[in-house]
Amino acid sequence: MKIAFLLSALLACAPLAARAADTGAPLRFVLIPKTVHPWFDKVNTGAHAAADLLGRLTGRRIEIEYRAPQTADVSSQNDIIERAVATHPDGLILDLLDEKGNHATMQEAVDEKVPMTVFDSLPPEGMDVTAVGADFCEQGTIAAQRLAGLIGGKGEVAIMMGVPTAPNHSLRAQCERTAFARYPGITVVATGIDNDSIETAQKQAAAIMQAHPDLAGWVACDASGPVGIGQAIRESGRTGKVREVGLDNLNDMIQLIHDGVADSSASSRPEMQGYWAVVAAWQRALGQKTPKYIDTGIDVLTSKNI
Amino acid sequence: MSLETTFPTAPPTPPRLPPLRRLAARCMSSPLGGVIAALVIIFGVSCLLSPHFLTSFNLMIMARALAFIGLVTIGQSVLMILGELDLSVGAIGGLAGITGGMLMVQAGLDPWLSLGLCLLLGTLCGMLNGVLITRLRLHSLVLTIGMAGVYGGANLVVTKGVAITGVPGDISFLGRGVVYGVPVPFVILLACLGVVGFVMARTPVGRYVYAIGSNPEAARMLGLRVDAIRVAAFATAGFLSALAGILMVARLGTAQPSIGDTWVLAPIAAAVIGGVATTGGLGSPVGAVLGAVIIGIIENIIVLFGISPYWQSIVSGGIVVLAISFDSLARRYIHRDA
Repeated sequence: MKIAFLLSALLACAPLAARAADTGAPLRFVLIPKTVHPWFDKVNTGAHAAADLLGRLTGRRIEIEYRAPQTADVSSQNDIIERAVATHPDGLILDLLDEKGNHATMQEAVDEKVPMTVFDSLPPEGMDVTAVGADFCEQGTIAAQRLAGLIGGKGEVAIMMGVPTAPNHSLRAQCERTAFARYPGITVVATGIDNDSIETAQKQAAAIMQAHPDLAGWVACDASGPVGIGQAIRESGRTGKVREVGLDNLNDMIQLIHDGVADSSASSRPEMQGYWAVVAAWQRALGQKTPKYIDTGIDVLTSKNI
Repeated sequence: MSLETTFPTAPPTPPRLPPLRRLAARCMSSPLGGVIAALVIIFGVSCLLSPHFLTSFNLMIMARALAFIGLVTIGQSVLMILGELDLSVGAIGGLAGITGGMLMVQAGLDPWLSLGLCLLLGTLCGMLNGVLITRLRLHSLVLTIGMAGVYGGANLVVTKGVAITGVPGDISFLGRGVVYGVPVPFVILLACLGVVGFVMARTPVGRYVYAIGSNPEAARMLGLRVDAIRVAAFATAGFLSALAGILMVARLGTAQPSIGDTWVLAPIAAAVIGGVATTGGLGSPVGAVLGAVIIGIIENIIVLFGISPYWQSIVSGGIVVLAISFDSLARRYIHRDA
């Protein structure tokens, strides 16, 4: 994967390398995720990988400043974006909590001539910003369809909704419901809200499984949810009886698949999102045109390929 | 027999303090001296360390960010002077903001009428807190934890967690506008601070609040309408939270269910930094808002200085403790020989 990154970035960057090397001052990109979370640490890892590569290729260092809000709150995120804009970075890389709620603040960045790139979210309408990420609806649909296959297209299932106010979480939940609706034998009997907390997800999942002893399977809409669900399945002694298809690729999720508690995970590629967001931001900082959308794809992680 | 004559003598002259202690004593002689001194130091250090700190853009965003938390802080400080706390202020702000958004977008009401109705809702929520506390003789901390869940839950029930978009542009001036280079929310904060500060400092109602906060039983025996003043204080806090909520809707252009999530602990910390005693009876809304300014500067410099998000809580918490300690140590330094 890393070699693929290197080669593709080399091809993308080669025409610009000579120009980038002209000035010695490092380029400074501020990376602002939705909140403090291990998933975004993986994005940050990918961003640093791209920055290192571009720095080596062009001779001009790239600094990544990671600024995560302590809570997933639009006004807190806007404050951080504004403060970052005040430092006039060469680029802002944002995971928007809400394209409309962030719009006014992003307009201030435009007014201050700070180039922006978004990842894991959709840019505000009418704003010339490159979006890097996976298709959330596709990700939820893959998870739901896989679970439907595991339980033979019939039985009771439950959805862990994540943060209900986060657009990507709610979109995944909506698409999971749509996917389950295609199976007449499947009934969604419960939905939990974990607010992207493993502990909350574990408690909610345990309670829902108590209330629905015939529950056949789980899907989730965030990265923390499936980890908590897996813990609840294990603690209730129902491993193998209640099936789970998770989301994303946190280490705990991968361990659950290893242990046979979860079947698999529909995972976006956070490192790749960070990587390509930096490449797009770099091109923007040099005044180049960038694609409207970069789809980083979805992996289905199973015990055979992790 | 000798007649002893005594002459009146001048009162003893206080010992002359060394220059540093004299300066500290002058700062501390005012109730706001400590917080102003801490503010000057933090502001000065920030100016020296970051070239971006004193730019007009940065000052503008700091003023605007302060406006929302400052409004909630004013209400919370009045309650704290009264010896109470309201942990549902953030949820009231969120519920009022969402209600305002729904009235404007889904019910199609006039934006200004919607704004008035959501302020009324916030006032009623605060009033309900006050009535329940006084009638049921419950501790405000316990009751408002529960009511935060009620108001926050109501917010999620009506919105199903989805933001309300399409808020009319008529009220956007309240959140995004600028008057003579000053953000409108900040102007509103100053106006509210002026009114509440005047009431607390210059009117009998303000003196009653301090008296109740110092000793509620004594105030009751003096014939003060303790319960009515408590309810009025909670209603004021609810009104100010709702105002912050609707201003945030005007600022964002959408009504977000998450509005107010971060408005619970910061106003309490700001009030404590600003000299409001957690036991009641001491402090002022002006001091509390100055405390909020200190927290705002700290949050600002954390980003400007590039401190890792994983260290942010430690750094901001540590600086808050330092600011409070500075006040306490300075007072002990002045009075060490007294």
